[in-house]
Amino acid sequence: MEGILFPRGVVDGKETLDAYRARGGYQALDKALKRMSPRDVLQEIDASGLRGRGGAGFPTGKKWTFTADTRETPRYVILNGGEDEPGSKKDRLLMENVPHLILEGVILAAYAVGASKAYLYINADYKDAIRAMEEAVADAKKLGYVGERIGGKDFSLEIEFFPAPHDYVAGEDSAVIEVIEGKRPLPRQKPPFPATAGLNAKPTAVNNVETLANVAPIILRGAAWYRGIGTAESAGTMVFSLNDEVKRPGVYELPFGTPLRHLIESCGGGTRDGKKIKAVLPGGPSSAFLSGDQLDVALDHNSVRAAGSSIGCGVIGIVTEDQCIVEEALRIAEFFAKESCGQCPACRMETNTLAMLLRKIQQGQGQAAMLEQFGKVIAFNKGKGFCSLINMPGPPIESAVRLFRGDFEAHLAGKCSSTS
Amino acid sequence: MKRICLVCQNVDCKNRGSEEIMKELQQRASDKGLDADWEVKPYMCFGACQEGPNVVLYPEKTWYAGVKKDDVGEIAEHMAGGPDVKRLDTIDASLKDLIYQLLDTGVF
Repeated sequence: MEGILFPRGVVDGKETLDAYRARGGYQALDKALKRMSPRDVLQEIDASGLRGRGGAGFPTGKKWTFTADTRETPRYVILNGGEDEPGSKKDRLLMENVPHLILEGVILAAYAVGASKAYLYINADYKDAIRAMEEAVADAKKLGYVGERIGGKDFSLEIEFFPAPHDYVAGEDSAVIEVIEGKRPLPRQKPPFPATAGLNAKPTAVNNVETLANVAPIILRGAAWYRGIGTAESAGTMVFSLNDEVKRPGVYELPFGTPLRHLIESCGGGTRDGKKIKAVLPGGPSSAFLSGDQLDVALDHNSVRAAGSSIGCGVIGIVTEDQCIVEEALRIAEFFAKESCGQCPACRMETNTLAMLLRKIQQGQGQAAMLEQFGKVIAFNKGKGFCSLINMPGPPIESAVRLFRGDFEAHLAGKCSSTS
Repeated sequence: MKRICLVCQNVDCKNRGSEEIMKELQQRASDKGLDADWEVKPYMCFGACQEGPNVVLYPEKTWYAGVKKDDVGEIAEHMAGGPDVKRLDTIDASLKDLIYQLLDTGVF
């Protein structure tokens, strides 16, 4: 299938500058510089319905408007390639394989919001991605797309690379800014939001890699074309990550609204050993479990929400019938307890308490009343942190207890339903 | 089963000196010969960060908030059978309920 980001919808080797130009590369930027004001570009992105692909799904046009509407200068754009979500590899594969597409998006974003400097913040482990992006920047400089007076206009852009540390919270937008300011990756209290007061307290548009990869195609072919792909409230495509639970792991770019079953069965080839699916996390470890009989859900923001979960950044986690949900829930709880940065006491309290409850249940030292404690601890701490990590363990853990209470009761009775 | 004296060691309580308070309580309990009856140990968080340092006695369910070093002697007295330190009992009932239920399920 043809994709918007990956020419064939899947990884197909690194795209050279020539190959990128052959599919319209840098024509969006040429068009914008010749015929569109920064406000025109911003309005086109707004009209396209593009939503952030880093997990929250916030409308990109709205975010950029906050930045563009301030009177403050200088302004900044940050490409957020921190990507520390377990199982996510889409941003790495996009940067490695279609670096010019991403770079053109960064330059267009800077033009739209009036930024004079862009930071490419990339997971320090992603050596190939960093190299690919560096080569793309060098090419773009030669073509006059990065530097002084781009396209002869009053628009100059400097680009700097910044390695992202490994902490999970280092991908949170205000923590990204802290890191670039030379500090530890700790999320800031909001408001103010980075869009109006970010890097050096100046307006800063922080966007996920996949989000920015969508920008050039939208500007080149128009918002109406983009809106024709996907669904009414989730326009375009999304790059989904499948991991070792399926026969053909990888990333798959599909229009929003594609059934989950198509992704797992037709793209991924089904589960590795042909085992029946017990549950799916459709949006990484912070999404709620869907049960195995919900595989026909359409993968778009509204449909997945209506089914009780969220699409996050498109990492699909699969639990098969031979696996125990208690073990999965414990793994998730321990992940968040470990990744909580520790600066908000409520987040430490919640993540550690949930992990301890699950550990006791998993070890058969629990009692039935424990199952009633999860919801109370989660409700008590809701929204009490600087960032959204405090709200992340709730959906998977509460859904696990609701959908698979039998697995928990078995553990409380000293048995485990797992046969794997 | 030994009775326990839990002293919160989360960020806020720690910033207000809860580590020292825990050590002091351990010392006082020892001095009073309470080691056979009581164990003074750290707890991750009682969720009353603005009112710390927090100390909870369990299973009797007494919660002392805003504990200062000067209060430690009276708390140790209480552990040895003395009266409650009523002025430190300021936490609202709903939070107590949440935390006591957790402790009742064995989360400590």
